Amino acid sequence: MELATSRPRRRAVLAGGVAALVAGAAPFNIGRAQGSKLKVGVLLPKSGLQAQIGIDCQRAADLAPALLKSKGFGDMELVLGDTETNPQIARAQAEKLIDQGIHVLTGCFDSGQTLAAAQVCEQKGIPFVVNIAAVPSLTEQGFKTVFRNFPTGPMIATDAFLLQKEMYAATGKAPKTVVLMHVNDTFGTSQADAITKLIDKFDMPYKIVERISYDPAARDLSAEVRKGKGTNAEAVWFISRLNDAILMTREMIKQRWEPMGIISSGPGWYEGQYMQALGKHGDDVVSLVPWYDPNKPMSKALVAAMQKAHAGLTVNTNHAHTFEAMLIIADAYKRAGATDAAKLIAALEKTDIKDNVTVGPGVKFDEKHQNPKTRCSAVQNRGGKNLAIFPAEAAETKPVWPMTPWSKRA
Amino acid sequence: MSLYTRLLGDLTGRGLAALAGFVVLLVALPSLVSSYIATVATIVLYLAFLGQAWNLMLGIAGLLSIGHALFVGIGAYASAYLFAIHGVPPLLGVLAGVAIAVAAGALIGYLGFRFAIGGVYFALLTIAFAEFTRIMVDHAKFLGGTEGLFLPVSAASRHGFDLLNLRGSPEMFYYLILALALAALALCRWLLTGRTGYYWRAIRDNPAAAQALGVDVFRYRMYAAMISAGMAAVGGVFYAFFYNNLFPEQVFGIERSIELTLAPIVGGVGTLFGPIFGAFVLTPLGELFTAGVEWLQTSGAIGRHVKVDGVKPLFWGIAVAAIVLLRPRGIWPWICDRLGLVKPPSERS
Repeated sequence: MELATSRPRRRAVLAGGVAALVAGAAPFNIGRAQGSKLKVGVLLPKSGLQAQIGIDCQRAADLAPALLKSKGFGDMELVLGDTETNPQIARAQAEKLIDQGIHVLTGCFDSGQTLAAAQVCEQKGIPFVVNIAAVPSLTEQGFKTVFRNFPTGPMIATDAFLLQKEMYAATGKAPKTVVLMHVNDTFGTSQADAITKLIDKFDMPYKIVERISYDPAARDLSAEVRKGKGTNAEAVWFISRLNDAILMTREMIKQRWEPMGIISSGPGWYEGQYMQALGKHGDDVVSLVPWYDPNKPMSKALVAAMQKAHAGLTVNTNHAHTFEAMLIIADAYKRAGATDAAKLIAALEKTDIKDNVTVGPGVKFDEKHQNPKTRCSAVQNRGGKNLAIFPAEAAETKPVWPMTPWSKRA
Repeated sequence: MSLYTRLLGDLTGRGLAALAGFVVLLVALPSLVSSYIATVATIVLYLAFLGQAWNLMLGIAGLLSIGHALFVGIGAYASAYLFAIHGVPPLLGVLAGVAIAVAAGALIGYLGFRFAIGGVYFALLTIAFAEFTRIMVDHAKFLGGTEGLFLPVSAASRHGFDLLNLRGSPEMFYYLILALALAALALCRWLLTGRTGYYWRAIRDNPAAAQALGVDVFRYRMYAAMISAGMAAVGGVFYAFFYNNLFPEQVFGIERSIELTLAPIVGGVGTLFGPIFGAFVLTPLGELFTAGVEWLQTSGAIGRHVKVDGVKPLFWGIAVAAIVLLRPRGIWPWICDRLGLVKPPSERS
């Protein structure tokens, strides 16, 4: 009896399952609608390890359609995707966004995820404007549809030296010895390797006396700070993450290590959470990072819009580069006059934006679709804000160098 | 025993029909669904293939490996390096990758079995090897180090069908991984129904008793470790040429090792179809949660301003925990029992 009733039910379930599969797949087969709005896929890591950064980038993308429309650009509609900080998901999500009818893609913050999404855009012929990703091969691998306005790893390392030289020349105070302290993960090791490899090319006024690596997840960095202090180096150069940057500073204060200054060429030291956690002790750190030019009109518009949408949130590199990717897309759409991929790619190749946000003369791509003239800034923490101090043409204040000793911070 | 009996002899008529229908559906899938669903299916089949390799170690031979990403990474890096730097096609590169992975599997196996490192300690040994290989590759400049190893993108890698160099469209990769997954299923089934398979199961259930009956426990455990490592390396070659870029942390990381154990655990450790079924449950389940959250937002049930990022992994974790708690043997054995797909042991030849 039980068998007799259960068989049809199983068949019904099976039939229902097949119907559900077909029905579930059907929406993805809908053809790409060519409306008056440009559909922009925004693919970012909004969950997983890089969630905070992805959400930060998303804030700037959300501001872009209205702000750019007020500047005379066309209508844009965002279609959002989450990479979950995983290249495999990034690839699948890029496919999904393209099936949902996007005309252009932007993202993905991380190099591995960006490369995974780039494969899909290349196969489908969809233009992809990268917001943040520094791996050189992204524009060396031969992609025809990928455009990048973010400096490559070697460009960032080169700027780190040039900006320091500019600062030492302007202040007349250069250290003779530096200790390099870096996290021992992939990012920290590769950055430290690049610095030690490139230093001889730049005729720096100092020598790196020691390289000290440490675990970014360490709960106690007292031994590393003691070792760093023991080198008697005049300045310290950090490549860190957020939590270890906070721990490092607290330990330096505790051990009364008073270097001439703290230089950072990674995340952590310029972030809002760092300055909130340390208050006045977070001041005067100099970060050498891709940034925005606060003197440009478009930057001022972005800062004002960000203040209006998220009071108290200061604009950072995540916002600046994500917004600028949207600006590049809007500009190409305006000149192409169509949502057609081939016309958008042709317009992107001819991009020449002067009124942009980031540091440098503007946005113009070379034959590899890289903007070779985008630059980094030296940014100093001052009273809970990030103020650009170099290059001189993108500065908003004078540097405090050497830094104020811990004991003299009222 | 004929090849047919060894491969399909345990299936009932309904089981054979279900298997045939499933294969037909998979073959037809790219022409039925969007490219997004086809990409998800490619990832599912890739995880099913690797799950099969891992299952051979734990489910069949009773050896817990939580560092299997090591073998995947070896296959990926060996073939990608030979192709990108020396122009060696991956059909030859795979031989090098498999050879190195089998040697690594043999080394780990030798250390583990010769010195009686069992259970969780063997698992730690596999993690240790995966981790120090990751660190070594981090510092190996000829493999790109931390900055990654990249395969060149050409016109063939966009739309072509170059099977020799594994440069082609997503459809080519889909059919390649489908063929590999079915071949892995057939190989495991063939091994399991032969002398080696009986020895493995005897060793898994009671190594001392197996040894007392004359089974060379060390040798057959070594076979399991080496075959599993070789299979995982083939998966690695697929990974390298499908994604075209390799970073040590992404390839050798513990997350990748854990990821490839999930499908067999959910589907059913020790069953042949369990890893495939588990992969077909897990990945679509994740996508279903994403679609569900999107539907809640578009239907207005939750506002656009409500931040739902991270909800999917949370529900996905709960769903996996529920499956493991409610069906500890995995879902596949339960489904087999309910649908009568496999003959009861008394009716098997």
